Amino acid sequence: MLNHREKRRYLAVMYEGDIFFQPNQMHEKIVSRFKELFGFLHAELAFLKLYDSELDSILFIGCKLKYLDDLLVSLSMTQPSLTVVSLSGTLKKLRKNVARLNIGNIKNNAN
Amino acid sequence: MTKILDLDLIGIDSTNSANIKPTENIVLRMDKKYPTADYFHYLLVSDNVNSMDGKTDLFIVDPFQRKDILKRKAKRGLGIEISITSTKKLDGTMVGRWIKEVKSIYQFCKSNNCQFILSSGANSVNEMISARTFESILKFMGISPNNYWEEFSEWLDSKYKARWTYVKP
Repeated sequence: MLNHREKRRYLAVMYEGDIFFQPNQMHEKIVSRFKELFGFLHAELAFLKLYDSELDSILFIGCKLKYLDDLLVSLSMTQPSLTVVSLSGTLKKLRKNVARLNIGNIKNNAN
Repeated sequence: MTKILDLDLIGIDSTNSANIKPTENIVLRMDKKYPTADYFHYLLVSDNVNSMDGKTDLFIVDPFQRKDILKRKAKRGLGIEISITSTKKLDGTMVGRWIKEVKSIYQFCKSNNCQFILSSGANSVNEMISARTFESILKFMGISPNNYWEEFSEWLDSKYKARWTYVKP
């Protein structure tokens, strides 16, 4: 049997900085919204995983490529507001992309 | 931020336009024509059926409100906008109902030559939605993203054209 690894996608998600949430609390909110909209089975199969972004108010979330659309839909319908600022096939590339975005400036402009 | 979210242009409420320079990627949303309209692309927006007239470009619809009045008032070329932001506070069942209603509005737009517009309804940068996310939502509702963006661009072009063609020298 072939040892086939399913493709994953990694997302950088920005959330409101003035509302204090730990990354794992935000992750819980995202997973519970995903379950509410797409069911427990899809949530398990999507294999939603939180990664350390090393940045304030930015989450890195990974999911199976097959469930990427479902995750994006649930992120757009989650309270507090979440914005997907970058998407990549590898965590390494995602970190590079986010570093280039200069998130700090965006937040200062937003405030 | 528009570049990060892969958006070619964004609509901004005219009341927030004081610190913004007129650029190609900004469309002002106004309830009536203000002097700033001379420098920006603009759309006349209404969320009240009673205040809607022939000049209204865009009508904001709550998918749960009664649609019979909209059916009477909607004219060819009118943009009908639905904002995603209201779904954030809805539970799963209500989101399901919201999607069902939005689909029926999309069908209504198709049969009445109105432009269906899905918007983030964002009041801040944190509430904005990326183009990729819009496409996922459209796909989820059974709408082809390619057709949607194409029709939306054509509709916007037609609005700009009408204004610039008939503007007095």
